Amino acid sequence: MTAVQTSSSPMTDRPSSSSLADVIDTILDKGLVIDAYVRVSLVGIEVLTIDARIVIASVDTYLRFAEAVNRLDLSDQGQGLPELIGGMQQSGAKQKTKGALDAAGDKLAEVTGGRREQRSRRSSGRAEAGDEERGRR
Amino acid sequence: MTAQARTRPGPAPTTASYIYGIVPAGVRAPRGESPVGDGNHRLATIRHGMIAALTSPVDLSVPIGTPDDLIAHQRVLDAVARRAPVLPMRFGAVLAEPGAVRQELLAGHHDEFAAALDQMAGTVQYVVAGRYDQDVVLTEVLRESDQAQALAAAIRGQDELATRDLRIQLGELVNAAIASKRDADTAAFASAVEPLCVAIAVRAPSHEQDAVHLALLVDRAHKEKLGRLVDQTAATWGDRVRLRLLGPMAPYDFATTAPPG
Repeated sequence: MTAVQTSSSPMTDRPSSSSLADVIDTILDKGLVIDAYVRVSLVGIEVLTIDARIVIASVDTYLRFAEAVNRLDLSDQGQGLPELIGGMQQSGAKQKTKGALDAAGDKLAEVTGGRREQRSRRSSGRAEAGDEERGRR
Repeated sequence: MTAQARTRPGPAPTTASYIYGIVPAGVRAPRGESPVGDGNHRLATIRHGMIAALTSPVDLSVPIGTPDDLIAHQRVLDAVARRAPVLPMRFGAVLAEPGAVRQELLAGHHDEFAAALDQMAGTVQYVVAGRYDQDVVLTEVLRESDQAQALAAAIRGQDELATRDLRIQLGELVNAAIASKRDADTAAFASAVEPLCVAIAVRAPSHEQDAVHLALLVDRAHKEKLGRLVDQTAATWGDRVRLRLLGPMAPYDFATTAPPG
């Protein structure tokens, strides 16, 4: 799905007109405020309330992210990741990272059916692999 | 209120003047754009000295703020912005009648508005909005965080309620990781386009997967260059971020002059 939009189509979307969401981001809390300039002849008119969109991270946000992670297809991840990394890093890094990911895949399988002590031990093992990865950059 | 009583004795007025923004005198109201409110009214300018207000009559009996109204407000201003400097008003500015627009708004702040319009001359605003592809960014976050991997493993295939705390931990971690990616990507993007910009305003994210949300005040002459630069950045990001370039538009994010007091 994500692969389709890579090369042939234009890199940046240039919508010819703004969507309502874009308009809301732009005109509700920006621009000059009339009250700062005019007092006497201001007219009260009923304005339907629409709040500017503000992102406030909440438990719902967190649960949504967690579910999205949960739905990430691991086999997909295995194929997608080297591709992604190939685009961003030197080719030498490719093999090693892929290896680390495979190992992570193994661990996931173990942990899913395994016990809690096992998980904490495993995750500290992953920390070493992670350090190694960071060190390479 | 007093102005109203003075200028319109008798029955209460049924229309008032909706204000879109301030333009240099001589700039005409755009044709073919619908006004805010009832479509039967017409866009017009009210002049005073070197400046003018872009207005249309609005019926006081009907509330404003429908999606069509919001879109109309921006479309009118953007149509003007494509050819002239304009100081956009925030949505919802309504004055009693044209005389009040001339007297209190224009005459009362003539020099201030004229100076601000001078400052905006030759520039126009663009907005760059980028959103992370969810799967790509989550994969990235997992790759970079052992803790996230461990938590992901712990919830996989498990009951949602039973793993609620772990899920919250994981989500919080992901959210923080994306926020720091956003900061880094925003800073990188801003410094890439900075040479072409008169000013840059970082907008608050409007979505939790926002990668970049910037308003750029750009010299009109740099339109093509900006487009190329944005495309180049989009190319380096590839599938990671879906990037949109909006504009040219009125300088909503940069017209923030407030009178003293």
